[in-house]
Amino acid sequence: MRVVVAEDLFLLRNGLVRLLEAHGFEIAAAVDSAPDLLQALLQDEPDVAIIDVRLPPTFTDDGLRAALEARRAVPGLPVLVLSQYVEQLYARELLAGDAGAVGYLLKDRVFNDDQFVDAVRSVASGGTVMDSEVVAKLLGRRSREETLARLSAREREVLELMAEGRSNSAIAQRLFITEKAVSKHSTSIFAKLDLVPSDDDNRRVLAVLAYLNG
Amino acid sequence: MTKWLVFLLAAGLAAGCLASARLDGGGDEQAKTRRGRLRALGLGVALLVIAVCVIRFLRAQSRPVAHARGSSFALSATSSSSATLWLVLAILAAGVLVALRWRRALWIVSAALMAAAGYGFVRARDYGNAALYNTVFHAAQPMAVAIPRIVNTAGRAPSPAHRLALSVTLKHATVGFSLPVLSSVVPANNVMSYLVLPLTYAALLLGGWLAWRALDGRSAAVRLVVGKMAEAKKQGRHWGILLLPAAIVTAELLAPNIWFGPGAANIGWTVALVGGTLLLIRRWPVVAAWLATAGLAALGLAGLYLAGSWDSGRWPLPLTPDGSVFYGAVDVSSHAMIYPATVQAVALIALACWLVPRTMPATLRLLGTGSQAELATRVRRLAESRAAAADTAAADLRRLERDLHDGAQARLIALGMNLRAVERLIPTKPEAALALVAEARETSARALTELRELVRGVHPPVLADRGLADAVRALALDCPLRVETDIDLPGRPPAPVETACYFAVAEILTNAAKHSGAREAKVAVSHAEGMLRIAVTDFGVGGADPANGTGLAGVERRLATFDGILAVSSPVGGPSIVVLEVPCALSSPKISSC
Ligand SMILES: Nc1ncnc2c1ncn2[C@@H]1O[C@H](COP(=O)(O)OP(=O)(O)O)[C@@H](O)[C@H]1O
Ligand SMILES: [Mg+2]
Repeated sequence: MRVVVAEDLFLLRNGLVRLLEAHGFEIAAAVDSAPDLLQALLQDEPDVAIIDVRLPPTFTDDGLRAALEARRAVPGLPVLVLSQYVEQLYARELLAGDAGAVGYLLKDRVFNDDQFVDAVRSVASGGTVMDSEVVAKLLGRRSREETLARLSAREREVLELMAEGRSNSAIAQRLFITEKAVSKHSTSIFAKLDLVPSDDDNRRVLAVLAYLNG
Repeated sequence: MTKWLVFLLAAGLAAGCLASARLDGGGDEQAKTRRGRLRALGLGVALLVIAVCVIRFLRAQSRPVAHARGSSFALSATSSSSATLWLVLAILAAGVLVALRWRRALWIVSAALMAAAGYGFVRARDYGNAALYNTVFHAAQPMAVAIPRIVNTAGRAPSPAHRLALSVTLKHATVGFSLPVLSSVVPANNVMSYLVLPLTYAALLLGGWLAWRALDGRSAAVRLVVGKMAEAKKQGRHWGILLLPAAIVTAELLAPNIWFGPGAANIGWTVALVGGTLLLIRRWPVVAAWLATAGLAALGLAGLYLAGSWDSGRWPLPLTPDGSVFYGAVDVSSHAMIYPATVQAVALIALACWLVPRTMPATLRLLGTGSQAELATRVRRLAESRAAAADTAAADLRRLERDLHDGAQARLIALGMNLRAVERLIPTKPEAALALVAEARETSARALTELRELVRGVHPPVLADRGLADAVRALALDCPLRVETDIDLPGRPPAPVETACYFAVAEILTNAAKHSGAREAKVAVSHAEGMLRIAVTDFGVGGADPANGTGLAGVERRLATFDGILAVSSPVGGPSIVVLEVPCALSSPKISSC
């Protein structure tokens, strides 16, 4: 699987490259600025790009903007955006268009390399991955209080993990329950939230996120 | 003998008022203060004066002498026993009223003053034919006939004496009441009777002021008016109200017979003039204030011209049938009257000059005389806000240092120690080492979280990335409430203003989430005429008050550094509206984000 890595800090870029190579990824390009990133994304056509939000030249959200621009040129181009902090505003911008194949994670998440690599693979295959901080804030909305109060504690946990973009098996593993139990919970959640159930993992994440964002 | 009785009672009344004020003042909180006692005393005396006037007037009426205008207003020394009885009763009533219902007493005094003023106008303007006076006076007559019939429903026919008594009483109760108040202070002396008009104005002002005090936040309507006035005052738009007296005096000067005298115009004129002026004041308060200032100055100049041209008879405007000119509080009817007219003219010009910097600040700046005092105030305010800003900055740095010291730094030390322990454990107890490594990873994750929070507190990344508009949108998204945003910013304010406003909005939204109990809030951001304006509204319980906490007060201080202000409107029951305004220019148009 070919990956483009965009990160301006040498130490972190190297760390990422090493981590990815150790897990069998092929590094198509490792760049350190937004213009280079844009070029790499449009020319190298990677399977997935891992992008830092803050990049030269302006050191603001250049990385994010390059990612969004590339996705406008190539809809559905898989990008996993990393940042020192997460903003719901950016999450919304990334999710806009319903194309899927996006991820938005705190940089801290690379500490758990297995989960991180899962996330990269999920995005590469068209999935959606949201950081648990974003999801927690979405669930903390007062406007959603009433409907969410209808869920059981377990269902809430499942919903949280679903919104983060995890597969049924990952959720089952995490909560120490069977996959069958997970799908039962998910059916019940969708019924309680008046959402149209879907077997497709990615559709499911998008539906849940759209619901929470709404 | 009877005089002594009256004095005794008056003294008793005063003492009673004081005592009642001391002894809980009839349950009124305010009466316990020294001011409350003074007020009670003043009211008692005022009521007494009114009572004396009424009684004297009744006596004068009961005498067979025809009561012609201005005939005899002097205090008659003789006193019949019935008058004394009336007086005693009046004093007792006044005492009871002041002690128990001082607000009502205030009402009575103010109503008496207004009525006296009304009568004063009639007296001053009603030359020759006494038309208006008689009209009002006799308006009571039909009532006097009708009311006894209604009262006597029992079928007993009212006796002629009864009817006469009632008719006289009613007459006095309507117009006659105001007569003695004025007549007791204006002797019938010819020169002094020129004082009628000034006294009338004084009575009107005093009565209006007292009525205003008596109303003081009692009814919802008054609260509304007070609120509107306060709002207008806050925006420096309250001077427009002066247009009303200016317009009335001008109308009188231009057309002396507009209200009084032969061919006096009907009530339509009054409604048109007063209504039109009020409409103008309400619609265009700034224009009204301008007009009032210019009008007062013009009136003053006209007065000077009047004084100068009177003797030569070159005054161009129409005269009254008496051959005089109505000039505000002065009726210029002879050479002697040009002196008070001059005084009034100079006073009006002085007033207009005093108003100019208040109603036409732009004009003043144009003249390059932006007053010294204004500059001094500004310098003082800047010094204060600078000191506050420096204090805040120092405190912020101290807090940052402490947070780093106790947080991230400490965690990194723990991490180092952990790693050293791992180093030692690996050869002998690899499982224990593994556990320690997991712990180390946990520690570093926590250090990162803390640093992230710190960075947000110092300078939020989204603000650096996107500017105020998107940063406010991000705040709205982060808020647990559903927050609607309406942002119209064609450029970016200076960075320090952006930061201050960002933290202000953050604090206000946090408050809304924490205190208001609302589910929804609104944030509006706009920029017009060099002023950045942000309004945050929530539909919660209300009752926000910067004095009750540190958050809003801190915001206020921080904004003051930029000459910005914070205004909170949060009645109990909501909604809470917090508005902040900061003067600033916007830099280059927004680089379209994404
Ligand atoms: N939106 C609001 N709705 C109701 N009450 C509020 C609101 N905002 C502030 N208050 C009240 O005003 C007080 C002052 O607010 P603030 O200065 O921010 O202090 P605090 O640190 O308590 O938040 C609060 O303690 C709260 O009682
Ligand atoms: Mg607060």
